[in-house]
Amino acid sequence: MAKRKRKKSRPSSPYQRNVRQADEALDRQGIEIQEDNWQALVLEWYAPKEPERSMMARYIAKHEHELGVDWAREVLRMEVYFQVGDYEQIIEHHKRAFSRYPRCALVEMWVAEQVFRQAGDFWCARSMYHYVIEHLPEHPKPYYEMGFMGYLLGDFTGALDWFNQAAERATEAHGEIAARVFYNRGITRYLLEGDRKAVIADMQEALRYKRDYAQAKQVLRDMRDRREMR
Amino acid sequence: MVKDNPRVRTKSFWVPTEVAGERVFWMSLEHSLNRPSKKGPSLAEIVWSTGDVEDAFLALPPIVPARIRRDAQRLLRPWPDGRYTDAYWRSGGILNVFTPPWGEQEDEVWAAMLAEWQATAFADENARQEALRALEQRWNHTPHPFFAGLTPAQVMVGGGPQEADLADEFLYHLTQMHDGKPFASVGESLIQTLMLLRGWSCQPRADGRTPLGLIIAERDDLLARRERALRGEAE
Repeated sequence: MAKRKRKKSRPSSPYQRNVRQADEALDRQGIEIQEDNWQALVLEWYAPKEPERSMMARYIAKHEHELGVDWAREVLRMEVYFQVGDYEQIIEHHKRAFSRYPRCALVEMWVAEQVFRQAGDFWCARSMYHYVIEHLPEHPKPYYEMGFMGYLLGDFTGALDWFNQAAERATEAHGEIAARVFYNRGITRYLLEGDRKAVIADMQEALRYKRDYAQAKQVLRDMRDRREMR
Repeated sequence: MVKDNPRVRTKSFWVPTEVAGERVFWMSLEHSLNRPSKKGPSLAEIVWSTGDVEDAFLALPPIVPARIRRDAQRLLRPWPDGRYTDAYWRSGGILNVFTPPWGEQEDEVWAAMLAEWQATAFADENARQEALRALEQRWNHTPHPFFAGLTPAQVMVGGGPQEADLADEFLYHLTQMHDGKPFASVGESLIQTLMLLRGWSCQPRADGRTPLGLIIAERDDLLARRERALRGEAE
């Protein structure tokens, strides 16, 4: 009897395995993405709170005919990766799945954070943040991230300028980001100008947005004790 | 009895990325080239004043490997009349060794300068080219935000002995703080390193001067020495 050659199935890549796991996670939660609910699911899952919700709704309205059920599935998978904190999969998924759709500044804003803070690819993240600033000029986060990057690059003057722009846009709705904006602005001001009063004001503002901000409390104590900041 | 056995001084530091490790090597080489010899001038000064790299290399001990000689030669080649684009790949010293590599494509400062030049109307082609040459010089001597505030010229000249000591101090501190520490990602280790670096660089010493200020002052001094050497003035 002639030996029948068994067709070798190609082993699935880690990326594909993660996609399957994300789909299983969505199934377990009873998510069924359909023509009549894909927009609502994306808003509910990816942008449940304001101001992001309105930003995403605007994007969907503008590109409705180019998006749809398949796009919504990619967004929900992305949200699963965010929930489990798999930054490599987030970046890979963004590259593979979203390149065929119109660029979404809100998605890029959160992916850029992973590119910057996890992959350490400052320049790719920087170019994404420039895009986000152009398309979501009212959101403080991209300005804050550019400020933080400027600080890391040793450009304190530039960083302060970005933090100032972020501070102008920060509101209660931005919570944690708003707190970080003022904390980082205070630190940068101290390095640049040594102005303790301004630092104290910024730390107090940071604590207004996040009451249990331990680092801001510590800086505030240091400033009041007139000790050197570490 | 053998007198004057050769001595090899080795150091081991923790660095956040492989690229940073390579740049620490370049930084050390830059420091070596700017370190005055027992007889007086540094290798870099000899090359600046004679223009002859081979002649300067006669001062190197024979133990120095060919690869290091090649790398040193690359660092010592004459600077261009136009823009100092070599600054993109030079280490930039301790203030820049951890910055992820970047080049003309990422250079927002040059892009903005160029866009302004392109949008300007000039009387003729000569005036246009003259303006471009002036622009290139402006870029060479303007503090660059991506070089931690150093100018491309300050990057080109490399660090001196004082910066070498400061770099060792920081790398030792970094190693003590981070060696063996688990990081969730390469980005996290890079960011933690840069935060430590920026804080350290602004901490005033006993005399009130910061590492940042000391590094810039020494690089300015080296640039002035280079100018004098190029003019053929003796030290």
